[in-house]
Amino acid sequence: MITPIVEVKGLKMYFPVGRTITGKPRRLLKAVDDVSFTIDKGQTFGLVGESGCGKTTIGRCLVRLYQPTDGQILFDGQDIARLSEKELAPYRRRMQMIFQDPYASLNPRMTVASIIAEPLLHTDMSRADRDARVRELVDLVGLKPDHMQRYPHEFSGGQRQRVGIARALASSPEFIVCDEPISALDVSIQAQVINTLEELQERFGLSYLFVSHDLSMVRHISHEVGVMYLGCMVERAPVQELYAHMLHPYTKALMSAVPIPDPDLAAASERIHLTGDVPTPIDPPSGCRFRARCPYATERCAVERPELREVSPGHFVACHLHE
Amino acid sequence: MALLEIDNLRTTFDIHVGKVQAVRGVSLTVGEGETVGIVGESGCGKSVSMLSVLHLLPDYARIEADAMRFDGTDLTKLSPKMFRRISGDQIGMIFQDPMTSLNPLFTIGQQLMEPLRIHKGMKRDEARRVVLEKLRMVEIPDPESRMKQYPHELSGGMRQRIMIAMAIMCNPRLIIADEPTTALDVTIQAQILDLLASLQKQLGTAVIMITHDLGVIAGMCSRVAVMYGGVIVEQGTVREIFYEPRHPYTWGLLRSIPQKAGEKKKLVPIPGSPPDLIAPPKGCPFTARCPYAMNVCAQAMPELRPLTDTHCARCYLMDEGAPKVTWEGSRT
Repeated sequence: MITPIVEVKGLKMYFPVGRTITGKPRRLLKAVDDVSFTIDKGQTFGLVGESGCGKTTIGRCLVRLYQPTDGQILFDGQDIARLSEKELAPYRRRMQMIFQDPYASLNPRMTVASIIAEPLLHTDMSRADRDARVRELVDLVGLKPDHMQRYPHEFSGGQRQRVGIARALASSPEFIVCDEPISALDVSIQAQVINTLEELQERFGLSYLFVSHDLSMVRHISHEVGVMYLGCMVERAPVQELYAHMLHPYTKALMSAVPIPDPDLAAASERIHLTGDVPTPIDPPSGCRFRARCPYATERCAVERPELREVSPGHFVACHLHE
Repeated sequence: MALLEIDNLRTTFDIHVGKVQAVRGVSLTVGEGETVGIVGESGCGKSVSMLSVLHLLPDYARIEADAMRFDGTDLTKLSPKMFRRISGDQIGMIFQDPMTSLNPLFTIGQQLMEPLRIHKGMKRDEARRVVLEKLRMVEIPDPESRMKQYPHELSGGMRQRIMIAMAIMCNPRLIIADEPTTALDVTIQAQILDLLASLQKQLGTAVIMITHDLGVIAGMCSRVAVMYGGVIVEQGTVREIFYEPRHPYTWGLLRSIPQKAGEKKKLVPIPGSPPDLIAPPKGCPFTARCPYAMNVCAQAMPELRPLTDTHCARCYLMDEGAPKVTWEGSRT
């Protein structure tokens, strides 16, 4: 039976923008506004959307790099959204993060071995055990033992991302947030990193939150996919179901915008045109947030915010068209 | 006659650790009104080769070529002043990052009028009129007020439209687009690509599209050059490259992207990483990562061999007597 590892309920993350003279926030940037989903053990949940839609913010909330404004994050049954740093400590080692930019996320003054060993300093491992574990990790992610005493600048982007993966694996986590782990890499290297992530998942039963704007990679790696638009989740379904029966107009437009690497199919495909840009999440539009760019928008969309509803088993969509 | 003809272009950078041989003999022709894609990984020389054509590289770059002709004029023999007259007027360039290629201290209008006043000698009013017309062509809403704005006030997609307007300002015959959509979101990317395609149809401009995204190539280009380690390893029509590729590197590129139609096949990555161009390998640059490498591959660079009138590749596997290796294709 499938048990969830992470359950997100009504997650909200608002950032204050500017301050009034009394210190109150002048306006609120609603980066994530009422998002709910679950990630099952050993599965990958893909989160897609354009820049500024809040997908990275969700990832950071889940590993509690941010303290959410409201909502629950159940990690293995325990709500961690409001825990203090001290109470969080036992959970920290069970969830880790892989960052987007392998150039900025590794300390240039530390050797690869010490970068990977850092999460282990907070355990009661002996030094010898720690060294053994680092060697094991280096091997696991496909680096060579003689890489251990080198510094990050000596590596290529793909190798650095492997160091980041090894560091995330060091504390034997159950859940990893992969925040655009491949977008800084070249195509031929992307596939290497994706394969490594998949092998590790199979081997250790890891669960991933895979945040990316690369829709074809998300389709490849995920079991379930959530589509974000301006802080809201507009559609969520198992991957096969989503790509076969997209319902939300934004999902359709987003998918049709992806260039197809096949000249005949590209010529045969029809693009749905979205006009304009994404509005700002500061004072977002009322009602449905997509309505300004939606070709099917009605008066109702301006007044009433559509709820995420289950239209077929496991397939949720937030749109007045599908009721 | 071809619009742009590059013959054996070599570009080296003299830096403190040695000479980086970024481009090692690239030959390319672009016909009038044609769209040619150049695809490859970072550092393969795709941008540098086009920047060499436009003389847009720093002083420590050494550019050599047997010939570089634009519309019959040999670009290598021109004085800098004459060169600017041709390149500024007849070749437009669109860069990857519109924020760093627009001047933050000048308004959009001031920047867009500059080429018209320099190259066409227009007066202010006349230049303003042309700028407004071009801004409408790139579908910018409310162009009058946009002209008074500064680059930071516009979104990424809007800035890229401004860059395109700037590139077509003098009605160029060739546009070089260097990763024009890499910094943009997919929905905005689709808008910009559609805009480029429709402008090309309207104006009959030739386009060279530099990108690492095979999807962009498949949708936009009629011919493709695949670059690796400073050389073109394969060149052909878009259908030849996608359906009958002959070079193992092209196979590798096509196999490392997820295939359509949801089947969960394992990706086949290319092992290893690209060669160091300070001391480039003597033989084929792909030897170290090629699953079919033979002894001869490390000895000498294979010649670019023609397969059809339009298709050629640089690989010893095409020799008679070489092991038979075939590409099973991405379509089954």
